[in-house]
Amino acid sequence: MIQNFLYMNGYGLFVWAAFSITFISCGIVFYKTQKTLKKYEREFAKEINELSAEKRKSVVENSKIASQVLSSHSKTI
Amino acid sequence: MFSLLSPSNIFHLIEKLISFINSIFFILLLIALSFALIFSPPDYLQGDSVRIMYVHVPSAWIGLASFTCIALLSIANFIFKTKNLIIITKSIAPIGLMFTCLAIVTGSLWGQPTWGTWWAWDARLTSMVILALFYIGYIVSHKFILKEERANKISSIIAIIGLINIPIIKFSVDWWNTLHQPASIKLTGTSTIHSSMLMPLLLMFFVLLLYCALIFLMKYKTEIIRMKKKNLKRL
Repeated sequence: MIQNFLYMNGYGLFVWAAFSITFISCGIVFYKTQKTLKKYEREFAKEINELSAEKRKSVVENSKIASQVLSSHSKTI
Repeated sequence: MFSLLSPSNIFHLIEKLISFINSIFFILLLIALSFALIFSPPDYLQGDSVRIMYVHVPSAWIGLASFTCIALLSIANFIFKTKNLIIITKSIAPIGLMFTCLAIVTGSLWGQPTWGTWWAWDARLTSMVILALFYIGYIVSHKFILKEERANKISSIIAIIGLINIPIIKFSVDWWNTLHQPASIKLTGTSTIHSSMLMPLLLMFFVLLLYCALIFLMKYKTEIIRMKKKNLKRL
């Protein structure tokens, strides 16, 4: 039964190749996108932390994005 | 309206949406794959090769829809000059390119057992390759033109010119004699596809749309952080 399912009346190679290519590409793009996002979050948080205390305070107070990235980054550490 | 949708207002929503999609995605994918590979019947003429449709057709739809979105938002950007629109189009483009390429490759894998050839320079196939080239042009212009304003202008022009190709792709099977079959699913009029195949197709389309949303949100978030990072350096 499993053999029939894989063979698909002779079309198995084409069907499995189409599905594999689609989902492997999707997986690679997901992995790369997530990696890039994490890298930018890390770098951004690091740059904020490197600011002087006064500047850091004003950045965090004035930018919702900066404060959110900083808090989510501190959670992951 | 644009200020309501500004990155800082929706940034916290993006995080929530990403986690929500992540939580339901794999369950929906398993259901869609079960329908596409097991429960849907083989075609009376094409046999099991018809299952390729469940990845080929949604990929093509997403490729076309993404480019239409990019072009329309580019037109809107020319009118309203909103930076957010550029960030959105930049985030959509790689997804659109990937799905256009997938539509071409899976189409080729379907073409071999159905037509007896991997490739033919017929109108539908060629116009899809042209769409992929427009995507590449759009992405390359953002990557390699250093002046941001100029890159935005050139990429928007590419997107607007590329919009002409969308109806050509859609109607190519009606205007020319092609190997590619005419549309089976019509928004107006009766579709010529049985519900036992239409349901898995729509399910797979929905799952791939969710995937697109997930990638789009992550890319959009990356672009926003990149923009903020640039601003931070100016301090």
